[in-house]
Amino acid sequence: MSKRSLPTSATGGEIRDLRQPGYYPRYSTLGQKKAWDETTRHVVTGRVGDTPPVRFFSREEAEVLQAIIDHVLPQDDRSEERTIPILPVIDERLFKNELNGFRYEDMPPDRDAYRLAIKAIDVMARERFDASFPALTVHRQELILKSLHDGEPDPAHPIWKTMPVHRFWALLMEDCVTAYYAHPWAWDEIGFGGPAYPRGYMRLENGLPEPWETEEERYEWNAPVDSLSEIEPEGAPPEHGSLHGHGGTH
Amino acid sequence: MALLSGKNGAHRLGPMQTLPGPMKTWPENEPVDYCVVGVGSAGGVLLQRLARAGFRVVGLEAGPFWDTEKDWVSDEKGSYELYWNDLRITGGTNPLALGENNSGKGVGGGSVHWAAFTPRFHPSDFRIYTEDGVGVDWPMSYWDLKPWYELLEREIPVAGPAWFPWGDPHGHPYGPHPLGGVGDVLVRGCSKLGIRTVAGGPVAILSASHGDRPHCIYRGFCLQGCKVGAKASTLITHVPDAIVHGAEIRAHAMAARINLRNDGRVDGVVYFDCDGKEHFQRARAVIVSGYAIETPRLLFNSACPGHSHGLANSSGTLGKYLMAQAGNVVAGRFEDLIRLYKAPPAHALSEEFYETDPQRGFARGFAIQTVGPLPIAFAKQMVAAMGAWGWGMRRVMMDYNHWATLGVLGEILPWEDNRVELADEKDRHGLPVAKVTFNLHDNDKKLIEFGKNKVMEVMWAAGAQQVVQESRFAHLVGASRMGKDPSTSVVDKFGRTHDIPNLFVCDGSIFPTQGSANPGLTIQALAARTADYLIGQGDPIFFSSRRDQHEPQIRYDLSPPFTRFKGNPRIA
Ligand SMILES: Cc1cc2nc3c(=O)[nH]c(=O)nc-3n(C[C@H](O)[C@H](O)[C@H](O)COP(=O)(O)OP(=O)(O)OC[C@H]3O[C@@H](n4cnc5c(N)ncnc54)[C@H](O)[C@@H]3O)c2cc1C
Ligand code: SF4
Repeated sequence: MSKRSLPTSATGGEIRDLRQPGYYPRYSTLGQKKAWDETTRHVVTGRVGDTPPVRFFSREEAEVLQAIIDHVLPQDDRSEERTIPILPVIDERLFKNELNGFRYEDMPPDRDAYRLAIKAIDVMARERFDASFPALTVHRQELILKSLHDGEPDPAHPIWKTMPVHRFWALLMEDCVTAYYAHPWAWDEIGFGGPAYPRGYMRLENGLPEPWETEEERYEWNAPVDSLSEIEPEGAPPEHGSLHGHGGTH
Repeated sequence: MALLSGKNGAHRLGPMQTLPGPMKTWPENEPVDYCVVGVGSAGGVLLQRLARAGFRVVGLEAGPFWDTEKDWVSDEKGSYELYWNDLRITGGTNPLALGENNSGKGVGGGSVHWAAFTPRFHPSDFRIYTEDGVGVDWPMSYWDLKPWYELLEREIPVAGPAWFPWGDPHGHPYGPHPLGGVGDVLVRGCSKLGIRTVAGGPVAILSASHGDRPHCIYRGFCLQGCKVGAKASTLITHVPDAIVHGAEIRAHAMAARINLRNDGRVDGVVYFDCDGKEHFQRARAVIVSGYAIETPRLLFNSACPGHSHGLANSSGTLGKYLMAQAGNVVAGRFEDLIRLYKAPPAHALSEEFYETDPQRGFARGFAIQTVGPLPIAFAKQMVAAMGAWGWGMRRVMMDYNHWATLGVLGEILPWEDNRVELADEKDRHGLPVAKVTFNLHDNDKKLIEFGKNKVMEVMWAAGAQQVVQESRFAHLVGASRMGKDPSTSVVDKFGRTHDIPNLFVCDGSIFPTQGSANPGLTIQALAARTADYLIGQGDPIFFSSRRDQHEPQIRYDLSPPFTRFKGNPRIA
């Protein structure tokens, strides 16, 4: 990651090169792996150890998509060796053509959706700023991505006439958060308990930690000053039915 | 006889339970009595009952026969394979997300990944046309089904409060569970507003051990399949007993077509095994239990001369009147920690708004229930509810432990234009896949608007500092509905198709309306009732066209082990 954009602390100091962002500094889910069942241990440690190779996307496509992912799910505050792989996970899903069980009638298959969108975003970059998407400054990259997030691609590109931009955005976001928040380093960041069989939990109420969990230690955390991706009060996208392939609830 | 146990020992169904083996195998070319397509919530119960009563039965299941110790994980992403991930097309003005939001594949079906909320339907649910002038009435009443509700509550069994105040008030065989952080929020918010609640159930989750099943350890991974065996799925509650009594479950067997003979009766099912090889299982009767999407799909794919629009579709209603419940999720951020990943997602609810209230300006109502999304599901909800991305996503997720989530479960009425059809796309066997179309109508929209606002109000009352919501839908039922009139419904009140006397449908797809209770318990109770009907009718089902519409005798002697001596308390 050459171009960084860093969150800041109360003093305005940059938050960078962290082994573990978040408010649970000494907490480690992997540190508890002895308490997990064997199958789960195998699956989760495999996720940390083996990053799949990029086989579906071409090198050029991968370069553009990586630049996109660096902003839709930024990790600039993480140290290089604790960066969570996202692109390889998306690539693997598409390489194996693993579906999420359905396709919207107004959407192309996932593989085509990614290819078309990557191409369109790069063309948008060249049209608006005269350079390929990866070559743009962080701010300019975010301007383009924000326009997709807002459902108003700027500049317009014909692909968004045939492929609803909000659906592609949801697809991209969901693939990114699935890769990131499936990783034990992300669980440490957010204080999630991780696998819990056969041991289970005993302190269910009042948000109390188990003996092996830690208390939250909050500090002031500010998004990078030049970032466009902070949550806005009216940031919810318009409703389009249940527009994403997320897990069920009840 | 086939041994199910692999090389390294037994086929496990939890830490204490193993699959009884060896399993009986029935030859394909000799007809069995019943071939059941789909071993899910309904199929598992049917097979168990029919096998116990001495019928020769085979269950064809498209997915795997889970070994819970080897195949299941205590991990969100690693549980992808529990779901029906094969292609379906979704559309309409409010397209439904399918996949992991929807249905399962593998022995146990949707009961493997359900949250296991088990409220009963209310008596009013069976007659909403008479009471409110909307939807249709069921061809049966709550009181017809009640004995099987009570029996299934003992069989699976259900834990919950001793007194459930809504609908037909009742208690539960096992005691309620301790409250988790999200349940606490629900009770707190509702109590502030004077809304009654129940906590600790009703859920098909053990609060005390039961035979060879341990009780809940509050790990919160219910939607990922319960490795503990505390949460009921037919894989562990009914299928083992079915096998003991001679049922054969054939996993990785994808039914392609039901075969119709010249005399207008079916004689078996064509299916593909895991190598894509075609087989034909002969049967004297066929029961389709494939879920509200795959059931109509199979009947459409079985079209043949004389039934060119699908088997059992002389009414033209096959695939129509598909329903989903409104399932908006309301998330609230609290100053204090919640840690919503602990405790079963399903553990407290209110049905205070279940019935029609004319002052609200729409028919029917909704329930309020706890939900407990794990990190990936929660992050996806934040994409929809807040438009979170980039640093905003990272920030809101760093606060994951401060959020609580409640679900609306709202009744959407049956509409003809909400339907399952065949798409142009085909699956790997060359079978056309299902296309699902879903549109909200005026009453539905008003109900959702009211319901989500009410639940947001509850969240504020509980002390949240920020409240957001996302729109979603859950629990598909209908699409092969039951009714008295063969010109407006597909099956009669016992699931027997109006057109073909030895072809049955038994799963959520036969619901004419759906209430705002989660459908699983009702699906299983209906399956047990249909089984008792078939057992009572005996052999004439296989050759006669006479249609006996008398209520069947309930068979208390056919329950799985450990059911006896349990009661349904009624503390007035
Ligand atoms: C995330 C989630 C949470 C839920 N929580 C709850 C809850 O708390 N309470 C509740 O009551 N309900 C809940 N539900 C709903 C519940 O899971 C379903 O309503 C129920 O399982 C449907 O039962 P069924 O018998 O109709 O179908 P299923 O249980 O889905 O069974 C159908 C089976 O048929 C098989 N099949 C389909 N087609 C074929 C074919 N052609 N050949 C062979 N096999 C085939 C499938 O693989 C499947 O195993 C939840 C659902 C989801 C997605
Ligand atoms: S919370 Fe209880 S029922 Fe749910 S998966 Fe864990 S042990 Fe099973």
